[in-house]
Amino acid sequence: MSNLFDKTTDALATSLRMRQIRHTVTTGNIANAETPGYHAQKVDFEEAMARALDLDGNQSMTATNENHFIAGEALPANPQVYDNPDVAVNNDGNTVDMEKEMAALSENSILYKAALQLINKKMAAMKYAISEGR
Amino acid sequence: MSDFLSGFRIGSSGMAAQRARMNTISSNIANINTLKTPEGGPYRRKDVVFEAIPDGKTFGDVVGVNDPQKDFNRVQVVDVIHDKRGPLMKFEPSHPDANEDGYVAYPNINLMEEMTNMIQATRSYEANVQAVQATKDMALSALEIGR
Repeated sequence: MSNLFDKTTDALATSLRMRQIRHTVTTGNIANAETPGYHAQKVDFEEAMARALDLDGNQSMTATNENHFIAGEALPANPQVYDNPDVAVNNDGNTVDMEKEMAALSENSILYKAALQLINKKMAAMKYAISEGR
Repeated sequence: MSDFLSGFRIGSSGMAAQRARMNTISSNIANINTLKTPEGGPYRRKDVVFEAIPDGKTFGDVVGVNDPQKDFNRVQVVDVIHDKRGPLMKFEPSHPDANEDGYVAYPNINLMEEMTNMIQATRSYEANVQAVQATKDMALSALEIGR
């Protein structure tokens, strides 16, 4: 990891990647809102990410020696996408809840843009430092 | 591999599917009183069949290097089916197409049903437009990183 871009920037970049995957999943659900037998898909990453970043401050197991095993702290490159179990099944076997999907789409889009703004702020601060505050 | 292009592809597949559905609905409404068709008999109500197909058309997907992307699904119209309901028999002895009992076979199309389907198709289309719009917004803001 370079010293120029710190942990926060990496976390934001990961968050962007995960949100993009979630966006694609949500778009797929909306497109298939009327496909008989289609199961709404879901992707979770918040918990894994909070664990990886140690947001709760519990200092869960870390590898301080090269002989240590990494105990599930690294975020998988491709988060698992699974059939959303928390749904009502329609008459035709479809489980897409259009309202939920549209809400998820907006929420995800807003949080994506929020992460982008944070990255931009960090970049702006770095630029300011590079140009010696001019 | 998920990129924004798959978001566009999936959203536009949804729009295309709803448009195809809208076309069959228009056809059903337009032919609500049609008694003659090329295949003979009165017009029969048509409906589209949607199917979810995995989105993945990268080179790696085709040659089988990547796992098949079954997480993201496009939608496709796989078939246009004829409604199985029988024709609507109306007693019109003076009609030239009436059978020996004086009944004319009309298409069994319920205008209310078609209208509700039409509204549903419109709303679904709009939802897909929203999804594409959101994809576009996100992709454009991502281009602004570091500006």
